[in-house]
Amino acid sequence: MPHPAWDEFAELVLKRVTASGAEYGDIRIQQATSQTISGEDRRIASICDVEDTGFGVRVLYHGAWGFAASSILSLEEVPRVADLAIEIAKGSASLAIKKVRLAEEPVYRDRIVTPCRVDPFAVPLEKKTDLLLRTMEVLHRQQGIVRSSASLWARRDRKLFVSTEGTHLEFDLLAGQGDCTATALQDGRFASRSFNTPHLRVGYELIEEADFLRKAPRVAAQAVEKVTAPAVDAGSFDLVLDPEHLSLTIHESCGHPSELDRALGYEANYAGTSFLTPEKRGTFRYGSPQVNLVADNREPETLAATGYDDDGVACQTWDIVREGIFVGYCTNREVAQTIGETRSRGSNRADGWGSVPIVRIANIGLEPGSATVDQLIADVKRGIYIEGHGSYSIDQRRYNFQFGGDAFWLIENGKRAHMLRDVIYQGITPEFWNSCDGVADRTSRRRYGFITCGKGQPGQSGWMTHAASPARFRNIQVIRGEGRS
Amino acid sequence: MSVSPAKSWPKMTSREEFRFLADLVLTRSSGDDTIVTLHDHHTGTTRFANNQVIQNVDTRRGTLSVTVAYAGRRGTASTTDFTAGSIQATLERAERIARVSPEDPEYLPPPEPRVFAVRPTARPETVVAGPARRLEYANEAIGQCRMENLMAAGIVSSSVSSVGIAAGNGLFGYESRADARFSLTVQAGDATGWSAAAHRSIDHLKIQERTLAAINKAKRGREISELPPGRYPVILEPAAVAGLWSGLLWALDAKSYEKGTSPFANKLGQRIVDERLTLQNVPGHADLLGVGFTHEGLPSESSVWFDHGVLKQLSYDRFTANAHGVQAIPTLEAPALSADGAACGSVQDLVKRTDHAILVTNFWYIRSVNASDLTLTGMTRDGTFLVEKGEIVSAVKNFRFHDSPLRAFRQIDAWTSPMEAMTSETGKMLAPAMVLPEFNFSSVTRF
Repeated sequence: MPHPAWDEFAELVLKRVTASGAEYGDIRIQQATSQTISGEDRRIASICDVEDTGFGVRVLYHGAWGFAASSILSLEEVPRVADLAIEIAKGSASLAIKKVRLAEEPVYRDRIVTPCRVDPFAVPLEKKTDLLLRTMEVLHRQQGIVRSSASLWARRDRKLFVSTEGTHLEFDLLAGQGDCTATALQDGRFASRSFNTPHLRVGYELIEEADFLRKAPRVAAQAVEKVTAPAVDAGSFDLVLDPEHLSLTIHESCGHPSELDRALGYEANYAGTSFLTPEKRGTFRYGSPQVNLVADNREPETLAATGYDDDGVACQTWDIVREGIFVGYCTNREVAQTIGETRSRGSNRADGWGSVPIVRIANIGLEPGSATVDQLIADVKRGIYIEGHGSYSIDQRRYNFQFGGDAFWLIENGKRAHMLRDVIYQGITPEFWNSCDGVADRTSRRRYGFITCGKGQPGQSGWMTHAASPARFRNIQVIRGEGRS
Repeated sequence: MSVSPAKSWPKMTSREEFRFLADLVLTRSSGDDTIVTLHDHHTGTTRFANNQVIQNVDTRRGTLSVTVAYAGRRGTASTTDFTAGSIQATLERAERIARVSPEDPEYLPPPEPRVFAVRPTARPETVVAGPARRLEYANEAIGQCRMENLMAAGIVSSSVSSVGIAAGNGLFGYESRADARFSLTVQAGDATGWSAAAHRSIDHLKIQERTLAAINKAKRGREISELPPGRYPVILEPAAVAGLWSGLLWALDAKSYEKGTSPFANKLGQRIVDERLTLQNVPGHADLLGVGFTHEGLPSESSVWFDHGVLKQLSYDRFTANAHGVQAIPTLEAPALSADGAACGSVQDLVKRTDHAILVTNFWYIRSVNASDLTLTGMTRDGTFLVEKGEIVSAVKNFRFHDSPLRAFRQIDAWTSPMEAMTSETGKMLAPAMVLPEFNFSSVTRF
């Protein structure tokens, strides 16, 4: 748990903030420990252990924010940084037109610990490097494979959050992930196929249960099959999208537009705004009646399920889209009131002690339907089944998107036929989600997490999980993912 | 305003202090090779939207990283705690990792010691700039927009870094670096205009001029029409050129080239783009963010990457360079693209001489679609216009493009001199605005 001196530092900071006349202040002290092991082409290319410790002080003075942070935890530095945060807030206040008012939230004293069976930092390094080397060796056994990679990542965050309102939260959080990729070369063209575990808040059991060595032969074989597969002919296809693929589609086309700070223009200069503007809430048909998108920051093991966000707001579950109608946003204590909500949804997160928390996508997932995956495919005459992540791009209001994938299979007369390559589909978000006419049941629900969601200036990496069962979309425009020579 | 303009805090790690910290590690390390790197970074950003400050932050993070190797077995550990006990513990962690790491067949000892070029990477006016200066600039941009009844969103930032590298073989480099950044999106209803800058000197951000440019873009975008997707002649402003070239430069990895998994495979020494185009690394250029050495301890020097359209260099890791006898590894942190021949004076001059084209201010969310032929996709953003008979006739709804820079830049029709170019997603370069005869827009969005 956090170092005993951390509480003393927190008290020192909050006394100064309170004495300054500020209406609110908080401090986050955090020690992030991470280990990344990267393998490339049958070798361990790097092993890196990072310890990143520091604190950030946030002050709300006369309705305006100031934030200062430092990696030096000392009795000299802590008050100096607190005073700087106050000074900066006063500077912001001198230009403030509309004053920030925070939505009410109960005061908490709590301690959150990620349950895990096997501590990833206690697993011998040799065991991990051996797994990666053997995985790459298996990938290269497949004829046609010219490159491989495999990696493991784990992170522990010990964090203390204390606010002038009296909230006192201690965190000991874990997360991990592993992946491997094979690249095949054929006639000057190359293609890759990957296997990834989801990013989850669990221990090393995630890696042990993933069984990389058993999956590697299939990954390598499909890389070769993919590079030799026929390129797709552009046209209109029905798509059946697997949960890993859908996690990215959900993230980009539902997650980001449902961030209220974007809808209010806070991100206009960088990540963009949102077509889901506040007046659409409750009436706008975002998708077909089969589409239910739920934010659940309480589901165990998921990345945003941290007990509380960096506003000290308890994690919650709420609807974003209910039976196709857009009904809810991801919010924080600052923006919730602008849409008449009295409480934040608890989606305010920073990517470390040195960053100020901003509104982040919650764990938004597509609710399961009632069909089986086979039933979804059986009702497709000419379609494509897509697995995994590939190319992705979307406009700054989240209308026009274009996605690839990691693997594609042609569906003919209700059956998966052969692989295809260079499949890219395009759409306009609400038209796309309105073309969804079936979601598979809970038995095929899977979760995939993101730890590199870019937003904010300075840029921050957000963490969240998106769960889905496979879903079917009708008459989607597909193009070939290659240029004209 | 209550914020003092210049502060003595924080005192960044000095050359002498870094040498002391490095010696602490190097004298205690049991490794065959040991490398210590420093990145002590102090940055502040004032962020605004809807014509007011929404975020005002100041962060100082010092990181010391230690890499230890025993006979090709290597481990790296880093810390933000610069106390002697923590540094000793970090060294021990790196040693522990190295002892149990498998031998890396590509391991190379640290680069040989050398004297690095001294560059003016830390301009004093940027070093002393604090929250008050940033706030003043933000206020200037907001004020100009407010006078026009427009909405401003953007950032003003400044940062100072101490960067160092030291190794047991005597390699030593230390550099103070500072830079300042400004970017602004002006909203006029549904229309947006954008401008951005980054410079070693905060005095060169040209807030007023760039704010005016973004305002003019936004105002021009109020009347909007929709064109069908298709292949169009385009006038690409420098930021748009830089966006596409960034995608191209990312693909120059030498190891991928050697293994055949590069869009440039077997094309070294061949003409790739228009023969009038040359791309160089110019770390000494006053308007670029050049440095004296890289994070690996390699010198940053001038080099030519594309010479009159011909690919001359690849981006080498040290092992691949060594294996192919490349002695001086070229770096590319200060790219400058130029075109030979008679240049037009400005983007406006390019417009005047164009009969029919789409004028693109910037691209957004550029991603690879097909790594084999370097097909990219992305959206136009913050000012896309139809040019007819030498004039901008209307704004048009934003397009998605689907094209490869390897194809698009095979022929350029007209160009300006290189200008400072920032993109939303990549670093800074010098690039001309250009007219290309054909560019593929594959779909159109709703605004």
